[in-house]
Amino acid sequence: MLVDVPHLEEPCSPADFEARLRAVGTERYHDKHPFNLRMHQGRLSREEVQTWVRNRYYYQTRIPVKDSAILAKSGDSAFRREWVQRLHDHDGRAPGEGGLELWLRLADAVGLARDQVASLDFVLPGVRRACDAYVDLVERADLLTAVAASLTELFAADIMGKRIAAFERHYAWVDAEGLGYFRARTTAAPRDAAFGLDFVVEHARTAQDQQRCLDALARKCEILWSLLDAIEAAHRKPSVAPQVMLREDAERPGHLLAVLPERGVRVSESGREILQLCDGALSSEGVAMALRAHHPDVPHLSTDVHEFLDQMEKLGVVVRDV
Amino acid sequence: MYDAPRIWNLIAELTYRCPLRCPYCSNPENFAAIRDALDADGWGRVFREAAALGAVHVGLTGGEPSTRRDLAAIVRHAASANLYPHLVTAGVPLGAEGLAPLCDAGLRSVQLSIQDATPTASDAIAGTACFDRKLEVAREARRLGLALTLNVVLHRHNLANVGALIELARTLDADRLELANAQYDGFALCNRDALLPSREQLEAAAQVVTAERERAKRPELQWVLPDYFSGRPKPCMGGWGRSLLVVAPDGLVLPCHAARDLPGLEFWNTREHALRECWEDAPGLNAYRGENWMREPCRSCPERTRDFGGCRCQAYRLTGDAANTDPACALAPQRDAITAARARASNAAAWAYRGS
Repeated sequence: MLVDVPHLEEPCSPADFEARLRAVGTERYHDKHPFNLRMHQGRLSREEVQTWVRNRYYYQTRIPVKDSAILAKSGDSAFRREWVQRLHDHDGRAPGEGGLELWLRLADAVGLARDQVASLDFVLPGVRRACDAYVDLVERADLLTAVAASLTELFAADIMGKRIAAFERHYAWVDAEGLGYFRARTTAAPRDAAFGLDFVVEHARTAQDQQRCLDALARKCEILWSLLDAIEAAHRKPSVAPQVMLREDAERPGHLLAVLPERGVRVSESGREILQLCDGALSSEGVAMALRAHHPDVPHLSTDVHEFLDQMEKLGVVVRDV
Repeated sequence: MYDAPRIWNLIAELTYRCPLRCPYCSNPENFAAIRDALDADGWGRVFREAAALGAVHVGLTGGEPSTRRDLAAIVRHAASANLYPHLVTAGVPLGAEGLAPLCDAGLRSVQLSIQDATPTASDAIAGTACFDRKLEVAREARRLGLALTLNVVLHRHNLANVGALIELARTLDADRLELANAQYDGFALCNRDALLPSREQLEAAAQVVTAERERAKRPELQWVLPDYFSGRPKPCMGGWGRSLLVVAPDGLVLPCHAARDLPGLEFWNTREHALRECWEDAPGLNAYRGENWMREPCRSCPERTRDFGGCRCQAYRLTGDAANTDPACALAPQRDAITAARARASNAAAWAYRGS
């Protein structure tokens, strides 16, 4: 997705500015991402639901970090009193409470081991990059644009409603007890968004400030979108491209050479093990999981597998189908 | 004295015969006197020897390889030697119907030349009507699941059509499009005044390439600013005798297509010597290996490990001594050879076909 927000030369009226902020969401919020569309239509596999829950947890863990950064930017007690509420919402007032805990209950409900989810060991590299980019964006931004980036909450209540309905209707195998996070957000998101929106509309008075807010919100939408891109890519099924000739590397026993029309690619022994699982039947995530089962003690294995497959795809050694 | 490196890539020039007469042909000027001396089994022996020296890939080229009636047998030898067989063809006399037998023999990929984006313009450069048959070959290659690269040699008279060429490659579902700016050796050097483009033409084409790369992933576009304009010499053949070996139709073993014309170099023939000897011991192959032959400014230049001092043949053709720095380098003492050539090129200059 390209960020292409119409450029402001004169400041707009508060009503007009709000309309423009909402238009960014109408155009770019991830409720229109193919993965979310499929989720809401009930067309995700169990494996896909699990991958989403496991990965989206990383996003959840970044939210209080991001909100702490925003708190630290404000010199105003009234603002902080309001904003600190978000930390309590996510972290709870005691162990076993709060949004992060609710997400781990969702992980239980979709059949994941919560320790494994909480370890963040299986977070896809693309998801990690997207979430880290959001924290980075907020940390570098001034208070106004940092708050503007959080205004995707304006569109969140609606997507939470759709999600609850979709899970109840299509994913009956998910225990309804697990949907607590979504239910909590249907009330918290509108409250948070209303405060954030008032703040942004009140403080963005020049055309330049308004433009920066629109850009920050668009960038945030782009980040959420790329998070789902990464999850979707992890469910495409890799196979060795038909034009590739795989052969032993005479110089390095155990290693492979992948020969293509215009290049040769050296594949190490561990890469070879990954390629052997790329039979077009397993997804990239499935390959990562299978290798994890073989090598339970290798750190960052899942990340390495996905990064290897991304690289092999770029070099033309591997193709991935849906 | 010198530890010969591994061969990765074998370029098998099966014949210098070709129905096309392109004015930038890279074959030797006396191509007609060089006979095909290896039969299919002879090539099979070369392939097995190359594989034993590390080669993984063979480009079957020429001339036009499909003028050989035993091409399928040659492809079969390449595949059974465990090399990746890649056919470099003009598409004629091959024809679409000629591809399936090669595919059965183990062919993996095809590089098809076109000369321009339209039949009239393309055939005018090729010197024969062949454009439509080339497109049929391209479509058949896709149908057979072969990797497909289109190659267009670019010059003053077709650089403006880069956009149309990309569109054509996209329509044909090519995997890659090589937008190969002409290299001014051999016939292209004779026709240089007519073929060498202007900087403005190159910059305009480069912009089109950049925009098209952003627009779509396919085809992969290969475009390099030519050495006459970049100020940097090309790392010719990835370095002399470094990873790539040419066997000419008469069996002569060379470090590049054009090196046979360099005076005073002794190359050996695969009909008389084992390929290993031709590669490792022939005096010509060792003449410009490594860095000992280099003079200043190459000898102390930090770029020498990347560009290897440029092209020996170009240095010889433009300065009279193959050990000089390639004048394509902005640091070369004989740099004038390039700037003067750029100034001389014009739309008014006439060009001649190969072999006419």
